Amino acid sequence: MIDTAPKPAQANASTPAAALKMAARGLDFHYGDIQALRGVDLDVAERQVTALIGPSGCGKSTLLRVFNRIYAIYPGQVASGQVLLDGENILDPGYSLNRLRSKVGMVFQKPVPFPMSIYENVAYAIRHYERLSRVDMDDRVEQALRQGALWDEVKDKLKRSALGLSGGQQQRLCIARAVALNPEVILLDEPTSALDPIATGRIEQLIAELKEHFTIVIVTHNMQQAARCSDHTAFMYLGELVEFGATTQIFTNPARKQTEDYITGRFG
Amino acid sequence: MAVSGSARPQRQAATTQFAERLYRRRRLSNAIALTLSCAAAAFGLIFLFWILWTTVSKGIGGISWALFTQPTPPPMAEGGGLGNAFFGSMVMCVLAIVIGTPLGIAAGTWLSEYAGARKLGTVVRFVNDILLSAPSIVLGLFVYTLVVAQMGGSFSALAGALALAFIVLPVVVRTTDEMLRLVPTQMREAALSLGVPQWKVITQVLYRGASAGIVTGVLLALARISGETAPLLFTAFGNQYWSTDLMRPMASVPVVMYQYAGSPYESWQLLAWSGALVLTTFVLLISLAARALLLRNRVPND
Amino acid sequence: MAHALATTPVRSRKDRRNDALFQYLLAGAAILVLIALTGAALSMLWGGREALLSQGWTFFFSTEWNPVENRYGALVPIYGTLVTALLALLLAVPVSFGIAFFLTEVAPVWLRGPIGTAVELLAGIPSIIYGMWGLFVLVPMMTEYVTPWLNDTLGSLPVIGVMFQGPPLGIGYLTAGFVLAIMVIPFICSIMREVFLTVPNRLKESAYALGCTRWEVVKDIVLPYTRTAVVGGIFLGLGRALGETMAVAFVIGNTVRFSPSLLEPGTTIAALIANDFAEATDTYRSALLLLGFVLFIVTFFVLAIARLMLSRIARKEGN
Repeated sequence: MIDTAPKPAQANASTPAAALKMAARGLDFHYGDIQALRGVDLDVAERQVTALIGPSGCGKSTLLRVFNRIYAIYPGQVASGQVLLDGENILDPGYSLNRLRSKVGMVFQKPVPFPMSIYENVAYAIRHYERLSRVDMDDRVEQALRQGALWDEVKDKLKRSALGLSGGQQQRLCIARAVALNPEVILLDEPTSALDPIATGRIEQLIAELKEHFTIVIVTHNMQQAARCSDHTAFMYLGELVEFGATTQIFTNPARKQTEDYITGRFG
Repeated sequence: MAVSGSARPQRQAATTQFAERLYRRRRLSNAIALTLSCAAAAFGLIFLFWILWTTVSKGIGGISWALFTQPTPPPMAEGGGLGNAFFGSMVMCVLAIVIGTPLGIAAGTWLSEYAGARKLGTVVRFVNDILLSAPSIVLGLFVYTLVVAQMGGSFSALAGALALAFIVLPVVVRTTDEMLRLVPTQMREAALSLGVPQWKVITQVLYRGASAGIVTGVLLALARISGETAPLLFTAFGNQYWSTDLMRPMASVPVVMYQYAGSPYESWQLLAWSGALVLTTFVLLISLAARALLLRNRVPND
Repeated sequence: MAHALATTPVRSRKDRRNDALFQYLLAGAAILVLIALTGAALSMLWGGREALLSQGWTFFFSTEWNPVENRYGALVPIYGTLVTALLALLLAVPVSFGIAFFLTEVAPVWLRGPIGTAVELLAGIPSIIYGMWGLFVLVPMMTEYVTPWLNDTLGSLPVIGVMFQGPPLGIGYLTAGFVLAIMVIPFICSIMREVFLTVPNRLKESAYALGCTRWEVVKDIVLPYTRTAVVGGIFLGLGRALGETMAVAFVIGNTVRFSPSLLEPGTTIAALIANDFAEATDTYRSALLLLGFVLFIVTFFVLAIARLMLSRIARKEGN
């Protein structure tokens, strides 16, 4: 991937060494009268996993939802400040939503397969961007399902309804669906909170594999999960970014008292 | 503390006696209420099944092949059937569904997906609820002034279908609105986050999720209009002969039933009751199908 | 990358245009719902303007309905509409409540489902069937047994006796009210049942835990909790009874003449329109349209009250 976009000069003390993919700069967010984010600055490194943690209501999901402007479907929700993707501000009204969402995919808390067949679930997404021949489409679907670590389980029942899959399989299908568009960034919003431990383990393993090709931002309420599968961790509290750094540093040697209290379970 | 030692057991006895009496009274009023409720249930159900039984016993004798093939007979003549009326009812009901359903789905979708907390949405929802239970004769008068009077007072099957479509509309609006709101928000977000434009999200993803519910609504609307008489009296009017012309008056089962049941001729009355039996069976089957469809699809959507 | 071509601004602009177009289309359909209701009201008022101008206020207060001399006073059909609807509610409300009580608290659980479904299915039976049943079954019974009996008993009482004296015709306000009652029972009952089922179980359980009887639970817990919605359901039934045409037209007698007796034939707005409209000429037709407007306004307010009350319980349930 050729990335010649100028990087913002602003740098955080804990800026990772890898290339910068996405960044929030002075980001505010309002739900009507309620302010959910206050001046958030965050750097997301390319092809690494960035985890957002914090007590519920701290704004971590809101921040994630700004990254592909999914909030824009609700009236009264306003983001101000900057969110840069390869140096371009995606909050700029001129930035096409279509383009943004093809570059930034998202997977939600509860698995939401569309009411179609397994094959169609993946093909449906692709069809909105590309016109492919039957054979090419089959290839792409297979490739996506392989990347979602689901292919071996579903290859014989591609025409069956996706609603018949187990919860963990449904979530991997959702990941495959997001991956099928060849996005650059994948946002995961508590992807395992509705799943059992075994399915959770598979998803975490999958995240480690996906990191080879994609930049990943994950919101989780499970600190072990953040510790296990992320490279960088941001701790948020009351709409502010309290601390951001390498995961090992945050979990072993947090700089702020609040962070330490949270990860040792003293509040939250 | 002036209570003497000997008074205490007395008072206790009085208290238990009082509690005992109160308890008996409470039990009695409960028993009366339960009996009355059982009686009410028996009363209501007896009458309702009596009506069904009357329909079956009076109508079963007229069920024959001729009922569906022969046109309505003139007075005093033997034989005949309701063929033209069944045909007319079918044509007008289908037409009403064809007109009312797309409009209803569109309006219901707007309410669920775009209206949000807007004031107009609240107003439309409220007005739709009123329209849902408005007297059907009023809708007949509306279509009369709107269509029939404008066309020089000529009754037509098209006007009849239009009157029925106004009954279909609110039913479909309501079910579409309700069923779409049952589709989880995350489904919309998941589709939108793939970059799919909103109109495609609605038509290609949400409608699939809500399709069983919307079909149920259409079935319920069909059950309702198939027995509607009042709005057809002065729109489609009625026709003793076969007619396939939408711009001319057309017979329908309920209107023929209305004319024949009130007539002094026994052969006409028999036809009316046979029509009633077929109509009731049809309506009950459609409603049962609608329920079955809804029940079967409720589980996986969750 | 392969999708680069597809995400050009052209595609995006087209999507945005289609989205907007789609939204306008849907909004147009929603507006149509508004137009349907206001259009219905205005068209009847417009059609009835001739009668309103020629009759003036006497239209609402005169009992003289004489198409031959073009004099129209709508008091009799208005009275008939109100009387039959009230008679219907008088019978239907207690019975519906009894059935709803039976179905939610009294009946064994295995029986609740089937009977509840049966009641809901019966609510969907076309009203013309009720009317025909009234004409063929109820009218002979009224003629033979009920009317003579009422004449002998209630008819001999002072003051209210007038209401129960009349010829044994079988048709009239009382018969119409009874048929309407049977027709709205399943309707009101299924609303009540639905509303009773919204009462949280923990509320009822804690009352039972205190030793309350079933009747006390319904009287002290269920009814207060659902009061507005129950009244809303009754108003919905009232709206239905006021505007019903076919169940009434067979058994009311279709006579525009005022009579204090419930056993005399009379008419209602809807029945009068159904009977006379197709054959009516100019001014008469206009008078009937004006009557339709009156019916519409009355039912509109009744239904509006009903919906407001029912929506309150929906909000409670949402919490």
